[in-house]
Formats: sequence, C-alpha cells, structure tokens
Amino acid sequence: MTSFKFLSCFKCLAVAAGVAAVTGVGFLYSGLYPMGADDHHNDLTYWALETLRERSIARASNDIEVPTDLNSSERLLAGGADYNDMCTGCHLKPGKTESDFTLGLYPAPPNLTLTGDRHGHEHAGDTDNDDEAIKRQFWIIKHGIKASGMPAWGLGHDDQRIWNMVAFLQRLPELSPQQYQILTARGADDAGHH
Amino acid sequence: MKRQSLSYFVALPALLLALSAQAHDPKEHMKEAQAPDCAAMKDMDHSKMDMKDPVMQAMMKKCMKAMHKDEEGSHEAHGDKGHTDHGNHDEKSDEKKPAKHQHKK
Repeated sequence: MTSFKFLSCFKCLAVAAGVAAVTGVGFLYSGLYPMGADDHHNDLTYWALETLRERSIARASNDIEVPTDLNSSERLLAGGADYNDMCTGCHLKPGKTESDFTLGLYPAPPNLTLTGDRHGHEHAGDTDNDDEAIKRQFWIIKHGIKASGMPAWGLGHDDQRIWNMVAFLQRLPELSPQQYQILTARGADDAGHH
Repeated sequence: MKRQSLSYFVALPALLLALSAQAHDPKEHMKEAQAPDCAAMKDMDHSKMDMKDPVMQAMMKKCMKAMHKDEEGSHEAHGDKGHTDHGNHDEKSDEKKPAKHQHKK
C-alpha cells in the first residue's frame, strides 16, 4: 500500500516536471518574452540573473592574486590612458554623467567615476572588502560578462595591462576633470606604457 | 576538400585573433592622442597636494615629460633657425662674430 502511494506520488512529480519542461520550452519558442533593452526585466528575472552573475564572478575570481604595487604612479598612468580609450563610452569620466551607452544599455553599465556604493548597483563591488572588489574588477575586465555589453578584454590584453586599469579604477572616483585629463592623455609619442 | 575545410578552421580563428590584437594596439589610439593640459596644474590648490600621493606623482611625471619635450622642441626649432641663419652668413663673418645662439647645458 505504501509502495503504491510512493509510486503514484513519483508519477505525479514526473508528470509535473514534464509539463513544466514542455511549458518552458513552449514559452522559449513562443517569442513572447520581450528582448528589447528598453523593456526591462521583471524583478524576479532581474534578481535571478543578477544572483547568477554575482555568484559566478565571486566563485571564479576567488583565487586571483592581487599585485602588491597596485597603487603605483606608473600603473595609474598606463591604466588611465587605456581606460580613457576603451571604457569611458560606457563607464564615463569625471564631469560626465551620461552617454548614449549609459542610456541605452540594459543593464546600465556602472558609472565608475562614483564609488561602489554610489553608482547604483547592488553587488559585490559595494563590499567593504577591497580585495574582493579588486579581484572582481580584474575578472570582469579580463573575461567580460555575457549578454551585458561588457567585452572580454583579456583576449587582446595581457594581465599586467588589465591590472593597470584596475589600479586606475581605485583612484578614479576621487579625480577632478583636470587631474583625469593629465593622467589619461597619451601625448604625441606615448605608446601606452606597455 | 577535407584539407580545404581544415585550412578554414585554422585560418579563421587566426584572422580573428590578429584583428582583435590589432584593434587594441595602443598605437591605434594615438590618432586621437591629446597632450596633457599641464597648465591646469597651476590652478590647483597646491596646499592640498600631497607629493607622496601616487596620483600627484603620476601627474608630475606626465607633466615633467611634456615640459621636457616642449623644451627640446623649442631648442630644436631654435637650433634649426640658428643653422639657417648661419647658413646665410659668409664664412668670414662666422669667424669674427661668436654665435648668438648658444645653448646652455
């Protein structure tokens, strides 16, 4: 009698799982989910995707070793020039509050001229643990983030060059527009300090 | 046929890799290279400047380099002009008069 109940319950679960799977696949093929970047996810989808992203990055960046000379002037100069060339369109620079990319991309790229707790994203970048935030930044620059507009710069840039950008990011929120200009200008014969 | 498709498999990733590397070559960015606006440093509040701060050190390095380059440029321009002027003199006048443009070292 007990085994009969167990079997019928197992059958119920199997049927429910089958129905859920068929419904899910049917939904994927129906084309009903809005994919436009101007039509935002509902709260549940956003939470699920953000949790998936942050947990994945935290796990993957856990073993990264942070260089000890991250706060050196040479790294700031090299990383600043690269940041200015490759990142400002989405992540802005001092004195600028928006661009076509910040308006149009979804999720909106964080404004890196603001400190982690001010740029409007609730994620590990807000953590009090600087080391964790630094590892996270390095991993994201190197590997990019799927379906977010963030490319994997590691395919064309070595680790040292990425660490230089990370070094620059640590000081970016406190720079004035004038300081930023001086630090990031490549000048006439500056090939990027590489 | 097999060999041809194999060559596609090798050539395509190689081409993509080469293009991506070229796109991020720092020299590519030099077309838009801006000179550092070191004059802005004069307007900054020097009392708040900490010379041990890596940001300040980086700015100084950048501007020292730019100033040094400017000096070299003006010296070279000066030198070239001097040479041109000297070229217009005859040899005798060069012997009598010392050159007006002497570079301090």
